[in-house]
Amino acid sequence: MRAPLIIVGVIVAAALLVPPLLPWGYDMIDWNAVRAEPLTGAHVLGTDNVGRDLLARTLVGTRVTLGVALAAALVSLVIGVAWGAFAGWVGGKTDELMMRIVDALYALPFMFVVILLMVVFGRSILLVFIGIGAVEWLTMARVVRGQVLQLKQRPFIIAAEAAGAPARAIMTGHLLPNVAGVAIAYLLLTVPQVVMVESFLSFLGLGVQEPLTSLGIMVKEGADDMDIAPFALLLPGGILVTLLVCLTLAGEKLRDRFAG
Amino acid sequence: MLQLILRRLGTAIPTLLVVILLSFLLMRLAPGGPFDGERPLDPATRAALTNAYGLDLPLHEQFFRYIGNLAQGDFGPSLVYRDFTVTALVAKGLPISLTLGGLALILALTLGIALGLWAAVRAGGGVDRSISMVTTILTALPSFVTAPLLVLLFGLTLGWLPVSGWNEGAPLNLVLPVIALALPVAGAVAKLTRAGLATALSEDHVRTARGRGLSPARVLLHHALRPALVPVASYIGPAAAGLLTGAVVIETVFALPGLGRYFVQGALNRDYPLVLGVVTLYAALIILFNLFADLIYGWLDPRVRG
Repeated sequence: MRAPLIIVGVIVAAALLVPPLLPWGYDMIDWNAVRAEPLTGAHVLGTDNVGRDLLARTLVGTRVTLGVALAAALVSLVIGVAWGAFAGWVGGKTDELMMRIVDALYALPFMFVVILLMVVFGRSILLVFIGIGAVEWLTMARVVRGQVLQLKQRPFIIAAEAAGAPARAIMTGHLLPNVAGVAIAYLLLTVPQVVMVESFLSFLGLGVQEPLTSLGIMVKEGADDMDIAPFALLLPGGILVTLLVCLTLAGEKLRDRFAG
Repeated sequence: MLQLILRRLGTAIPTLLVVILLSFLLMRLAPGGPFDGERPLDPATRAALTNAYGLDLPLHEQFFRYIGNLAQGDFGPSLVYRDFTVTALVAKGLPISLTLGGLALILALTLGIALGLWAAVRAGGGVDRSISMVTTILTALPSFVTAPLLVLLFGLTLGWLPVSGWNEGAPLNLVLPVIALALPVAGAVAKLTRAGLATALSEDHVRTARGRGLSPARVLLHHALRPALVPVASYIGPAAAGLLTGAVVIETVFALPGLGRYFVQGALNRDYPLVLGVVTLYAALIILFNLFADLIYGWLDPRVRG
């Protein structure tokens, strides 16, 4: 689990620290070097079909993609933990109703709901992650509820109740800290899913909008141009795949550790 | 069995209605309308258009009108493809999407179950670990990356297969789209099969079968595989949703005139009836597949029929 996280860390650090050091901005056009090959001339990794530096664009795109993903994953964490913990703690009819709602939402075609939101409220980056976060919290809610149900039976919770601790104190002091581990594991698994949704939307032209870029947009641009300059597809595609695979591997390991 | 179907339909139809209602309301709440072009229409034309499409009626009347038409298979006129009704567009796109999705589902199940079996037979060994790695990578790879990469390799570099296009459903044109669509689902199926087999192989009836001296292959295929496929069956619903979603991208990459293409075009152009129609259809398909999954589930595991 360490190796994948280190790779992710290196990519994140590069995306955050390197762009200001580059002579080219992500949206600067160099008409003297359109579709430049990597390792030739002034652009280390070449340029795209309108002469924008690929390295700068990929790094900024990674930053945008991961930023959106993290924000959306946090939205889903907050909604999911609140929903699941409340349902699990209150129990009874309320619990059943709340979980029925989750079941019903599970049956919905997520991506289409998000696209619908994009169509309705315009294509803003803020909405991209609120929309994604709002549909990605379901698994989190289920897992957290399961954890809370188990914890409720544990002696230390019963002892806290018997000692007259108010429900809120039990929740914040005893339940949530014990749920945190599993929640973090699922947060790690939500991030790649959100990355995928964001790239998917951007790929279709419904997510992040030009001149801002994201890995999804770059894959799309590269795919449109790949018969002439395949590198413009391979670089962002490679980074995207690396991020997704590493985050999934790390998340699964962490989940197995907490579950088993 | 009939009772199970009826019970499922009892929850499926209200879910579908709620989906239609929600997407209908969302579309109508949207700022900006289908007639907001770059050049403003003169008020009389605008009023006539609004009236012709029934957009001036109260919201609930519009909704009931929509549902009524829907029940007769009429999805309304497309606002962007002026010469077509949404029904006509759906009729053109759906067979293509279903062919693509159906073939991809078959490929994903075959490949996934085979990989899962292979891993379970070699449990704990190097093969098992490599397959587990491969399946994780498969599930993590988005189809909008694999599809262009496959095109680059097999279409442009090697020149074995056509790069894009439908070409009246020529088999060669289908190969790459189907593979790109099936791979993520195949990974998930393989994982589920492997996990299901691990549980099934440690159960009593499998031990009994082994004790009777049956061959390992027979034990695996006849006694362990069937209960192991129960989680795979319940995954068919989500898999269908995944395939439909993936098809949107695949159809865009390969320029296939399927439902997903129209959906994206509709979404980009704010073509309300088209988007609404496709979402309704997708929701209906997914609900149908969940029902189908429940039936397979009942067939695989008689205990749940009750």
